[in-house]
Amino acid sequence: MKAVILAAGEGTRLRPFTMSRPKSMIPVGNRPILEYIVEALVSNGVKDIIMVVGYRKDTIMLHFQDGKRFGASIEYVVQDKPLGTAHALALAGPLLDGKPFITVAGDNMIDSRLIADLLEKRNGLTMVVAESDNPSKYGVVEIEGDRIVGLVEKPECMIGNIINTGIYHFPYQMIEMFMSQTFGKELGITQLLSKAIPEMDMRVVKSKGQWNDAVYPWDLVNVNAQALDDISQGIMGTVEPGVTLKGPVNVGAGTRIRSGCYIEGPVTIGEGCDIGPNVVIHPSTSIGNGVQIEPFSYIAHCLIMSNVIIGSHSHISRSVIGDGVRSKAGLFIPSDSCIVRADREVFQLFDVGAHVGQDTVIGSRVVISPGTVVGAGCRINDGVRVSGNLENKCVVV
Amino acid sequence: MAVDILLDGLKRLEYRGYDSVGVAIASEGLKVFKDKGEMSKIEPLIPRWNGQMGIGHTRWATCGRPSKENAHPFVDCTGRIALVHNGIIENHLELRKQLEEEGHTFTSETDTEVLVHLMEHYYDGDAHATLRAALSRVKGSYAVAAMVEGDGHIVVARKENPLVIGVGVGENMVASDVTAVLGLTNKVVYIQEGESAIVSADGISIFDAQGSTVDRQPTPITWTVEDAEKGGFEHFMLKEIYEQPAAIHNSLLGSLDEIYAGAVIPDIDVSSVKLVACGTSYHAAMVGKYVIEDLARLPTTVELASEYRYSPGTGECPFTVLLTQSGETADTLAAAREARRRGCRTLAVTNVVGSTISREVDHVFYTNAGPEIGVAATKTFTTQLIAMYLLGLRLGAMRQTIDRTKVRHLSTELRSMPRYVSGVLDRASQIEEVVEMLVDARDIFYLGRNINYPTMLEGALKLKEISYIHAEGYAAGELKHGPLALLDASTPVVAACVNDHTREKMLGNISEVAARDSPVLGIGVEGDRELAAITDAMIGVPRVPPILSPVPLTVVLQLIAYYVAKKKGCSIDKPRNLAKSVTVE
Repeated sequence: MKAVILAAGEGTRLRPFTMSRPKSMIPVGNRPILEYIVEALVSNGVKDIIMVVGYRKDTIMLHFQDGKRFGASIEYVVQDKPLGTAHALALAGPLLDGKPFITVAGDNMIDSRLIADLLEKRNGLTMVVAESDNPSKYGVVEIEGDRIVGLVEKPECMIGNIINTGIYHFPYQMIEMFMSQTFGKELGITQLLSKAIPEMDMRVVKSKGQWNDAVYPWDLVNVNAQALDDISQGIMGTVEPGVTLKGPVNVGAGTRIRSGCYIEGPVTIGEGCDIGPNVVIHPSTSIGNGVQIEPFSYIAHCLIMSNVIIGSHSHISRSVIGDGVRSKAGLFIPSDSCIVRADREVFQLFDVGAHVGQDTVIGSRVVISPGTVVGAGCRINDGVRVSGNLENKCVVV
Repeated sequence: MAVDILLDGLKRLEYRGYDSVGVAIASEGLKVFKDKGEMSKIEPLIPRWNGQMGIGHTRWATCGRPSKENAHPFVDCTGRIALVHNGIIENHLELRKQLEEEGHTFTSETDTEVLVHLMEHYYDGDAHATLRAALSRVKGSYAVAAMVEGDGHIVVARKENPLVIGVGVGENMVASDVTAVLGLTNKVVYIQEGESAIVSADGISIFDAQGSTVDRQPTPITWTVEDAEKGGFEHFMLKEIYEQPAAIHNSLLGSLDEIYAGAVIPDIDVSSVKLVACGTSYHAAMVGKYVIEDLARLPTTVELASEYRYSPGTGECPFTVLLTQSGETADTLAAAREARRRGCRTLAVTNVVGSTISREVDHVFYTNAGPEIGVAATKTFTTQLIAMYLLGLRLGAMRQTIDRTKVRHLSTELRSMPRYVSGVLDRASQIEEVVEMLVDARDIFYLGRNINYPTMLEGALKLKEISYIHAEGYAAGELKHGPLALLDASTPVVAACVNDHTREKMLGNISEVAARDSPVLGIGVEGDRELAAITDAMIGVPRVPPILSPVPLTVVLQLIAYYVAKKKGCSIDKPRNLAKSVTVE
């Protein structure tokens, strides 16, 4: 069976982390989200994959190439304009050879169990659903037995906790319905399906598999933690004497962990990093490639991307730090509960740090308040306290 | 069938450039098919003979024009021996005369054909001994493979040309480059200088120059075939430009420790350095001169390998560094031997593990850029620059001309280099737009000063190679000594200007150029308002220490060349008349 992965969108709500890559290529546990999806498909024997790519397609194609490295055979279809997932799926139609197929969203964290359950229990047009504590962010599904009777995107009042995972099994005839649409403005798969519910027999498969979707920047640390759940110990780099490693810790080739560091897994550290001496890293933390963390710093529950420099005596908790961010000594990002605004909505968050976009340069003794989103390429001068949302390329004095 | 395996292998080598194709198959006698032209046109014409053994060749004309007659393989007068050859037979005219006098009939203008007639002359039933006897008569260089009707094996030999044997299961393959056999096996045996071998489906015997057997275990290759495939990108060149952050990251892995460890270059007494290279590598060497003189305060000279090897040599014996991406460039190999002969300590900077040059020198630094298919060097150049920085830092640390603080500062910046390069790649669409001003030009000048003078030479070379626009790199201070006379409104100028000590001079030069109405495309540090004010368009790169600026600037120049060539509809991955690695002299 072939699978279509929809990975053409940017994921604008995760800005600034989508500045130079689509949401599907954001690294969690040091691997792009999309890689977990490919892995889940391949481990269930679904090896023929069509990826619909668009926004920054170069990053996806460079990583996956023809798919052999991942045990798959990948073909690419390019969606030039952001016309929605229904349009993206229609573009993949000609490659489907008239057979039923699976569709997966390219930017949700899934595990192989979801795909296994779908393959086992599929029954014509089938959607995989999950239960959510916070359904209002997602598409909520109303069901009778295993039949879908309603589909509401981001409902304003509570109508149920069964949500759409964006994983479908489609009979081939369905693709013809998609291909026959005229696409003028953005059209999603669920929009199209919800209109057709009355005349269509649409079934659900409930799965106990893990499904997670990072909608806003502050969701990323938890998706990252989920990705780190089942890592195992692996030390490729140099760990100097006097370092304490507890729990599963991964250290990439060419990385040096200097004396006196205390690292408690699950933690994964990429290649070519220089950590310490005397740095404390707590779970669940990912650190990308070529990162330098100077002495006496404390990092907990963070997603730190590649080529980041963190000055000595820093404290960073429950935060996302984008590629190429550099800070001088004494960067303080403590985590706490806070109220943030995004999409004209107000969110009450518990225990969250800050989110710093790529290539931002931070002076010494800077404090960033919980819930802050700092754009890409900002310049924050020495001794400043930052809060709220900063646009890209801001200068803070 | 042998013919399919041969064609597949030849296709994998297409990127090296060729003008004709041919195969010979042992199938109830020897069957030969060859013609001039592209693989895609010739392949459908080749009969699918049912043989299990064969030899194939793509020719890049050196001796004799491109034609069907001059294509390999060649067969002898009896049609029982077939042979393919890379390299040059220097005494072929003399041998040809003798063989013709003995009654042999030649069908081509090539030097190679004498080999097959020499084999016929010596043939005594043992193909291996015959090949050795024939080769004892020739002067020159060769990687040669031959087979005799009814033998069941292929005999091969090499001198100054690469040759590898791929070790498969129930099959073995011979090739001039690992890429040709990667689809079938990842175990190869490198044939070394002066050696020969007999290869059959179930065994390989290797012999040294004296004819005694050599025992050698296969080397596993970590490159995979998909590394050499385009994976969705329009051209290999674009893919390789985008691979640079990862290539630079890999090049740096573990190497920053080397600055003080001395695992590659031990503590040695160095009083001067000579950098020797060809083509793009020569430009990396020129950047290296500025780096080494700045960081290690060592007098450094740069020479073209093809000149160095024939130069007289002086009393001084510098530490000689040879840069070659493939490790097989004929002139650079000859230069390495010459340096050794002169008693100089040698270091090779190469991308290919196990390549010939790695066995010809005292020390090797591998750039680990991964395979490069596009003929225009991109990621292999930027990783050579990284090697130059590491070499400069190592020599500087060894001689204590730079202190630990500065080493640490530059190491940190190098570690961030993949990010800076990504920052340039994020501007690709802006670059694609501004190159419009260059597309219709007949001539373009590239100006730079100090360490970015060689950067601009490389930028001009990239443009020449793939867009066929005449481009010339110039040191901006030399403007008044000639090129200024050539500038007018139809001759655009690309100028690099970073925040180094030559900035004021460079801004002055750009103003001079602009005053001649030449459209100027400036490349500088992002947010440089002064530069933007005096240029017609400006591309900004992330701010890096000036000594490291050639890396991000080069990536801009690569994208400029790529987009100009694309807009002109040129054959980007296989520019006319160029080959990837030049294994002939």
